[in-house]
Amino acid sequence: MKFSYLKSTIGKKQVMAVAGLLLAGFVLTHMLGNMLLFVGADMYNLYSYKLISNPLIYLAEAGLVAFFLSHIVMGIVLSIRNKSSRQKSYAVAASGEKKASWSSRFMIHQGMVIAVFVVLHLLTFKFADKQQTTVDGVVMDDLHQLVVDVFQSPVYVIGYVIAVGLLAFHLSHGVHSALSTLGFYSEEKKSKIECLSAIYGWVVGLGFMSQPIYVYLFY
Amino acid sequence: MTILDGKVPEGDVQEKWDKHRFKMKLVNPANRKKYTIIVVGTGLAGGSAAATLAEQGYNVKSFCVQDSPRRAHSIAAQGGINAAKNYKNDGDSVWRLFYDTVKGGDYRSREANVYRLAQVSNNIIDQCVAQGVPFAREYGGLLDNRSFGGAQVSRTFYARGQTGQQLLLGAYSAMNKMVDKKQIEVFARREMLGLVKIDGHARGIITRNLVTGEMEKHHGDAVLLCTGGYGNVFYLSTNAMNSNATAAWRCHKSGAYFANPCFTQIHPTCIPVSGEYQSKLTLMSESLRNHGRVWVPKKAGDKRAPNEIPEEDRDYYLERIYPSFGNLVPRDVASRNAKKVVDEGRGVGATGIAVYLDFGSAIERLGEDFIREKYGNLFAMYEKITNENPYKVPMKIYPAVHYTMGGLWVDYNLQTSIPGLFALGEANFSDHGANRLGASALMQGLADGYFVAPYTVANYLASTELSKADANHSAYDEEMQKVKSNIEKIKSIQGSTPVDHIHRDLGKIMWEYCGMSRNAEGLKKAITEIQQLKQKFWSDVKVPGDTNNLNQELEKAGRVADFLELGELMCKDALDRNESCGGHFREESQTEEGEAKRDDANFSYVAAWEYQGDNISEELLHKEPLEFKDVPLTQRSYK
Amino acid sequence: MAEKTISLKLKVWRQKDAKSEGGFEDYSLDSVSTDMSFLEMMDVLNDKLILEGKEPVNFDHDCREGICGMCSMVINGNPHGPQTATTTCQLHMRKFKDGDTIYIEPFRATAFPVVKDLVVDRSSFDRIQQAGGYISVNTGAAQDANAIPVPKPDADEAFEAATCIGCGACVASCKNASAMLFVSAKVSQYALLPQGQPERKDRAKKMLAKMEEEGFGACSNTGSCSAACPKEISLSTIARMNREIFK
Repeated sequence: MKFSYLKSTIGKKQVMAVAGLLLAGFVLTHMLGNMLLFVGADMYNLYSYKLISNPLIYLAEAGLVAFFLSHIVMGIVLSIRNKSSRQKSYAVAASGEKKASWSSRFMIHQGMVIAVFVVLHLLTFKFADKQQTTVDGVVMDDLHQLVVDVFQSPVYVIGYVIAVGLLAFHLSHGVHSALSTLGFYSEEKKSKIECLSAIYGWVVGLGFMSQPIYVYLFY
Repeated sequence: MTILDGKVPEGDVQEKWDKHRFKMKLVNPANRKKYTIIVVGTGLAGGSAAATLAEQGYNVKSFCVQDSPRRAHSIAAQGGINAAKNYKNDGDSVWRLFYDTVKGGDYRSREANVYRLAQVSNNIIDQCVAQGVPFAREYGGLLDNRSFGGAQVSRTFYARGQTGQQLLLGAYSAMNKMVDKKQIEVFARREMLGLVKIDGHARGIITRNLVTGEMEKHHGDAVLLCTGGYGNVFYLSTNAMNSNATAAWRCHKSGAYFANPCFTQIHPTCIPVSGEYQSKLTLMSESLRNHGRVWVPKKAGDKRAPNEIPEEDRDYYLERIYPSFGNLVPRDVASRNAKKVVDEGRGVGATGIAVYLDFGSAIERLGEDFIREKYGNLFAMYEKITNENPYKVPMKIYPAVHYTMGGLWVDYNLQTSIPGLFALGEANFSDHGANRLGASALMQGLADGYFVAPYTVANYLASTELSKADANHSAYDEEMQKVKSNIEKIKSIQGSTPVDHIHRDLGKIMWEYCGMSRNAEGLKKAITEIQQLKQKFWSDVKVPGDTNNLNQELEKAGRVADFLELGELMCKDALDRNESCGGHFREESQTEEGEAKRDDANFSYVAAWEYQGDNISEELLHKEPLEFKDVPLTQRSYK
Repeated sequence: MAEKTISLKLKVWRQKDAKSEGGFEDYSLDSVSTDMSFLEMMDVLNDKLILEGKEPVNFDHDCREGICGMCSMVINGNPHGPQTATTTCQLHMRKFKDGDTIYIEPFRATAFPVVKDLVVDRSSFDRIQQAGGYISVNTGAAQDANAIPVPKPDADEAFEAATCIGCGACVASCKNASAMLFVSAKVSQYALLPQGQPERKDRAKKMLAKMEEEGFGACSNTGSCSAACPKEISLSTIARMNREIFK
């Protein structure tokens, strides 16, 4: 039998894992950058201006699109395959010690919600019309004002919190799952890796959550 | 009665096999693909034979009743496999393994076979290690050994308490390799129900596809029966639920002699019966006797909890009676003594039918971790079944039927009395005499399959002119008709008794009268009761379901019908053998101390029975005299 | 071992053959001893059905001591029932309470089609092993068993992986019906032993390709396989298998 890396499930999963880990790195930096919200409007706007005006941004964006797409495409292809591996489901769900964690069982569902959210998020923040502001004599987009405006809507805040909550679950399983898929796992370090993965997910998730809540409550 | 010839080669026992191998004819490698060999059973014997014959270039058709060859009951063997490697430098040798096995078998095995077994034992270990069998190792990376009953050397190789599993998976992987090379075709979920003979030679088999109910004809040039033993005659045994004697019994009905059917092994360390619903008994490996001490209270009826009984009120009866072997006496001796103390009213547990196997002093001396490392999975298994923690409370054990030394009669070449029909492993009778030593079953199964049958089957093929035939031969239709009408007959009864009820009753009769201790009166009674039970079966059995579909009740019914006949033959054989030897203890023949007393003058032979029709009492006895030139006949003593 | 009896309501999957539609049938069983094994409880049910003139429930079973891997069944959604490190035959009724309702279903996976009632066809497992789950050494070709020392930790780890009984609970429990734990256990056993090295490069790839061809899903690292595994095979075997792809 001919073995083809990309046709194999392990190959697909490893592509998905690498893309996933890079995306996980991205959301962490994204979250940390956004924390400038707490510092002040000018800082926030300056940071986003510096980021956008850097010519490397196009390369980074192209990379992100590629990671997203490969992560999503592999995820969908694998899920379709996985779905067909069991045509009839059980009448009763597993319970007790034999039950897998919630986050691990619903990765594709979390992923779908997150994907939709990412699109909306881009439309809201990246491709929306922005007001201009001047910081240190430089004219730039007033992204801060946009954020403040958007997060006045409780519906949007709740939606955002739910979405990043799901991202937290997605990462808590995703990070250690990706590591295992890439071969990093040992029985002794099992609980440590799983714990760090959960911490990672919730640091990102709670960090993102804090921003709209802060804006909603204090602006 | 005729005198049977075991076809033992001439010469010194050490040279017999080597010279015989040289004299045997070979099949030219180019011609091997013209032959098809049918191997029934995929345990250690069947799996290893199928793989080896396929490697040599023969086409092999392999059959098993389970859904996969990997599930054959060899998988359940726990303790280990013997080999005369002498890695421990404690005085072991081929000769000592040979000697121990003949003596352990109480001088009722064929010396030449046993010597060959000891000789090839070392090759087996080499072969298994090369296959990736993960035997236990010492810190230096070399293989570890432990001791087993009936031996004073450490010669048992093991893989924790799962040695049988690891060896079987080794044989299974060897088979898989040859399936991948298209040399073996596996037929799983098939039951052999008939043997087809053409011109007196075994050529093929009739099988039932257990999923579709379809009857199939399989043709070949030789048939290897590797279908295990018949311990399930007793209903409760350590055998798997699907272990059965049907294939062997149908061969017997086709003319293969059945040898020493009464030689059954009652294993001393099993988990006791807990209720009427009990479906099988679970063995606790004999290796536990390395560190566990067997005891009962000194006083009959002492109902105190084991930990409350002080040392001075305990009777470590094996250590007391057999100071030199202690807890490691052979199985038959250990079992009989357990029965004796229980009969004296000193049994323990709720039923009073058990003795203690106590690890207290070993844990004290070596620590719980040491015991866990050695026997962890056995302790876990025990706890699951009994809900008691054996690290804290002594295990309760009692003997149970475990192995059958008897089986189809075979000559030195493992060929039965039907030319072209070979029997390997537990299915034959040859190597263990009246009692098998621990860790020898795995050795024998693999010896037969890897290193004996591949030569002797080739010799048969090379030296026999087989007529041209195929599965369209009328002999197949005749045998198939017989098989089909048997099934139809069973189905047509539609009485009121489920198969299991009859089987359970048969088991009770066998255990009571043909178990650890037997006497003439009881055996006669058993024969009458079995005959009545057989009548009940054929007039009142109830088998629901269809024949053209998976029907587990129908499978069981066919097997129980055969067990009823075999059970009667076992009693007849036990009655006929008016001596005690090994696992066969006739109360009429014991020493003053109550040990088994052989009668070598009158019974130093293999009893091989020939089928004479439905009436088992008419079976004809043939004798193969046994000679002991190299292991002098002595009364066994483990004191 | 105080014996107790309980009453149970059973919902058992009945299916005439592979082609038929199946469905649950309700049965009730009284005075079930808590010392019984789960399969002995099934025996008692079947005995009752036979005496009532009905067809008994077909289920796979053989050794009844947790080593042959023949027994299957999903009990209340858990392969081999609620207890970890246990096969159905080793599960005892003391794990259930009086009045419990128990759903009993076959293992469900596209690669394990139902044969009848609770019996499934697991021959896909054999075909995966046949694709490379072996060391190519012919009988008689072996050197002395002690010629190559194997470090004890490696031997022990190989043994742990080799304890797989091929029951299929990993597949049954996996939301993707993946056979990764089963395949990786065999791959790990040989990858850890010196004897397995010559064919190491291709073994995992061949077995993986066969696994996928048979219709098993991919691994999502949920860990349910290892939790359901009667022999507690570690997820580290799967990680090793993921590495083996690069060998």
